[in-house]
Amino acid sequence: MTATSAVLKPGTDTLEQGRLADMETHFKVTQFYNLEAETLDDGRFGDWLEMLAEDLRYWAPVRTNRLRRQQALSILQPDEAAFYDETKESLAWRIRRFDTGMAWSEDPPSRTRHLVSNVTVREHPDGLLVRSAFLVYRNRLEKETNIFAGGRTDLLREGGVYGFELAKRTLLFEANVLQAKNISTFF
Amino acid sequence: MVDSTSGLVDRAIFTDEGLYQQELRRVFAPSWLFLGHVDQLKKTGDFFTTFMGEDPIIVSKGKDGEIRAFLNSCRHRGARVCRADYGTTKNFTCTYHGWTYDLEGKLSNVPNVAGYDENFDTADWGLVEVAQIDNYKGLIFATWNPSAPELPDALGGAKYYMDAFLDKDPEGTVVVGGIMKWELDGNWKLAAEQFATDWYHVNMSHASALMVLSPTGKGPKSEIANTPGRQFHDEQGGHGAGFPTHPKSRFDAQKVHEHYDYGFLRERLGDATVEGPMTTGHGTIFPNFSYLPINGSIRIWHPKGPNKMEVWAWTILDKSMSPEVREAQRLYNLRTFGPSGIFESDDGENWSEVQSISNGFVTNSVALNLQMGIGSEREDGVYPGTTSELYSDAAGRNFYRKWAQLMDTPAWHEEPNE
Ligand code: FES
Ligand SMILES: [Fe+2]
Repeated sequence: MTATSAVLKPGTDTLEQGRLADMETHFKVTQFYNLEAETLDDGRFGDWLEMLAEDLRYWAPVRTNRLRRQQALSILQPDEAAFYDETKESLAWRIRRFDTGMAWSEDPPSRTRHLVSNVTVREHPDGLLVRSAFLVYRNRLEKETNIFAGGRTDLLREGGVYGFELAKRTLLFEANVLQAKNISTFF
Repeated sequence: MVDSTSGLVDRAIFTDEGLYQQELRRVFAPSWLFLGHVDQLKKTGDFFTTFMGEDPIIVSKGKDGEIRAFLNSCRHRGARVCRADYGTTKNFTCTYHGWTYDLEGKLSNVPNVAGYDENFDTADWGLVEVAQIDNYKGLIFATWNPSAPELPDALGGAKYYMDAFLDKDPEGTVVVGGIMKWELDGNWKLAAEQFATDWYHVNMSHASALMVLSPTGKGPKSEIANTPGRQFHDEQGGHGAGFPTHPKSRFDAQKVHEHYDYGFLRERLGDATVEGPMTTGHGTIFPNFSYLPINGSIRIWHPKGPNKMEVWAWTILDKSMSPEVREAQRLYNLRTFGPSGIFESDDGENWSEVQSISNGFVTNSVALNLQMGIGSEREDGVYPGTTSELYSDAAGRNFYRKWAQLMDTPAWHEEPNE
């Protein structure tokens, strides 16, 4: 595995308030997100990989219930438990599994819909710092249903075929015990 | 329900509510159950919460350095006295009426205590404590059963196999901070049984994962796919473990592999351990603790009704691993096992699939087959205890034999059968 770059820590990086981006930038970012959601819902994971920077850090730390005075510790640290902690390479490895034709947890495939909203775009020395909310609905086989809800903090850089590349993403599921038998999509 | 001699199992054991209640009374309450790792309690006041069966539990480190486990339920009107997953505290204060318990479980403060008469003694109203608690090489287990054998005896012959991941490092083990927790539709026994006995599923269920892990991308060479191996079961305790014995059947993270000095390990634990239980393998300590040595995964299958289980999974590490090796093992574990793991996601699919159709009347009257390797159980002269072939169902038959025996035996808290 390649060396991993630092994660975006919610609550620290996100609070350094950059200037809100202008209308045109905001529009381009939301279009990028809509395209990304479309790609994931179509199951075109190979295309999704094209939207990711080579040095991507993609991180979904576990969240815990802590006493209120220890609440600052409720999101686990980068060296602790996580639902995802990925590089572009490791995501490519996961995606290759779907292409083997023998990934039974997605055969027949699930139906998913990624909804992304609450987008704020701020200027950042390394690109754009973007916060958003997601609601992902998964329906599988007859009526197995999961809802994954959470927030994303992204660092986007200009470039790539889609106008932006995702350089960092921190995903926070609004969950302690994940209410799903597995996670077979990306967010 | 269970015919462990001919290897037939009735599906009602996965769906019946009455059997499930009996299981909580007779399988979970009397058995030693896994709580966590000693590394989760570093200093006085550290605590974490978990479950034993469906009973909520607080585990804390007292002022005397002792680890204790209590029912997480206020003696007054029954609220949980701790709703955090873990942390550090001086005491546990119930948020309902304010009864406060210290780290040793004693009732230390009662608001308006003058309202009770002279018969009320706080010494009578401490948190309910487990009957026995102990740890085996860092893994904490407890039981409500005062007459249960001591932990080392209860683990019995399984200790040798557990040492393949608990005793590689003279300094012992630690865990990565935090626990991956997820819920799935499936009876807890589906998972516990599989980790005890079922190596048979690996090539088919995990075909996609084996393909992406193999250097060619086409899956393991046939001598590895059809590896020889052994399967152990502990007749007394109901535990089971299986492992390939092919030297190349070792799907580990490269950095972790390079970290180990296999000559040293051969000297420390013996050739048989290095060539067997330390390869890619799995095991279950009856009833609901399981492990995967190569992935560094230890987990508990919490029962949540007949149709649901909650999986709690940790990453276990050797203490003397460098930060880089620890990180490699943490990443390897979460990418292979855990809810997004390329292996685990296909297991979850199988268990929920078996469960989802189990309520059909006719479906439920058709027995399941655990007949592979019947009669192959023996002492093999290399691996201690009773073993059979890698793909055998022997440890599964033994798991259900133990389960049925407990189900038929009044527990210590019951009146004996006439
Ligand atoms: S229920 Fe805990 S103080 Fe009343
Ligand atoms: Fe499996």
